[in-house]
Amino acid sequence: MTREKLIAKVNQIFVEQFELDPAELTPEKRIFEDFALDSLDIVDLITGLQRQFGVSLRENKDVLAIRTLQDIYDLCEKLVAENPDLRAKISD
Amino acid sequence: MPEWQGQIPVGPDNVTAAPVELPPEMSKSITRHYRRSMGNAALFATLAAQAAVEQSGLSAAELSGGRTGCVISSTIGSSSEVYESTKAVIEKRFNELSACQFFRIVSHSSAFNVANFFGINGVQLSPCSACASSLQSIGLAYEQILAGRQEVFLAGGSDEVTPIVVSSFRHLYALADSRELMPQEQSRPFDARRCGLVCGEGAGILVLEEYEHAQRRNAPILAEIAGYATNCTGSQISQSDSSSIESCMRLALDDAQVSTDEVDYISAHATSTVAGDREEAAAIRAIFADRVPVSSCKGHLGHTLGASGALESAAVLEMIRHGVILPTGNLEQVAEDCAGLNLPLAPVQRQIKTALKNCIAFGGVNASLVFKMPA
Repeated sequence: MTREKLIAKVNQIFVEQFELDPAELTPEKRIFEDFALDSLDIVDLITGLQRQFGVSLRENKDVLAIRTLQDIYDLCEKLVAENPDLRAKISD
Repeated sequence: MPEWQGQIPVGPDNVTAAPVELPPEMSKSITRHYRRSMGNAALFATLAAQAAVEQSGLSAAELSGGRTGCVISSTIGSSSEVYESTKAVIEKRFNELSACQFFRIVSHSSAFNVANFFGINGVQLSPCSACASSLQSIGLAYEQILAGRQEVFLAGGSDEVTPIVVSSFRHLYALADSRELMPQEQSRPFDARRCGLVCGEGAGILVLEEYEHAQRRNAPILAEIAGYATNCTGSQISQSDSSSIESCMRLALDDAQVSTDEVDYISAHATSTVAGDREEAAAIRAIFADRVPVSSCKGHLGHTLGASGALESAAVLEMIRHGVILPTGNLEQVAEDCAGLNLPLAPVQRQIKTALKNCIAFGGVNASLVFKMPA
């Protein structure tokens, strides 16, 4: 999967789930301060990432460190790198 | 409010219901942060509350100053979201649901969503009692203000038409099912051809305010709530019972210190079921005979369930304001078992100084509220 595809998959959650303007979705944006998300939204973010990437994230401690959109891209990239099946599945 | 969208398929068969088709832009006028925890019932309640607050002229500071409360209820928090959640559990995909799913389902969903939307931080209550819910909400708000606990309340109810609700009424033979009548003719309280109710949905929210508080800020006072009572049969969960309805109306009139001769109009609960209309008619006849005009809004709106008491109270306030009594929609020939009442078949021009509003609900619950024209 190209990084562009991965970013598009993540951004799709922010557009569809959190109703944000795609133009606002730049990597340095802080999801709590800039997008006004809260703890309930983070549960929905985890659900959205699980749906998009087909992996369980509920017990993943890296999720707790997410602060910016870039952090999410990095987390997803790490997930793809660690999971050959996922890499194969979403590189189509 | 759009009326009579016609027959919609809900549940296993096509059954009569009058759903609200909310334009997407109206839903989106509530920002996602607030909308995410709302099922349709809470969404209806918030939109109605916005209109009520705007009409009342209450400021944001008054709403969030600790002296304003919120009492709003529904039959079920959001029956459509209960349906979705149950389906997800059965299909083993609960983890796909929103984090806010539970907040849409709970019984007091409309109350806290409205409170949260307006920053109301006083008393929050939700006396759920099916079809008497919103009249009990208004009554409870009235009692709280009388007791000096709050100065202002947003009070009312909201409800949804879903397969859970409609199929339940159908199962109990309480849903209209005449093949001779058009969908918009099926709800016909007190009529000889009535055969059951038609489910509606929506929300009704009133602003209740302590009298001097309202006067001080030059609020538009539509009416005074002069009395309230609620009771139950203690013996029946599904059948209305004329003697307890009669007691409830008498208790409300006593609370208002109003004699039966002073009542100018009665807004009946009358849902268009055979047994329910008969029992309420008997109760009204026992107190008022044929001296007072009686009508039911449900021929126009269908039965909006937990929202009906507040929605129909809003209609009463409009009748007081315009000095006109609206007849019961679709009432053409008064049924024999509802005879002996004053049931207008056309609008009646009349100054309404005092009005009585009834609600009757499953669980044997009755509620009656007395409105007086403002001094």
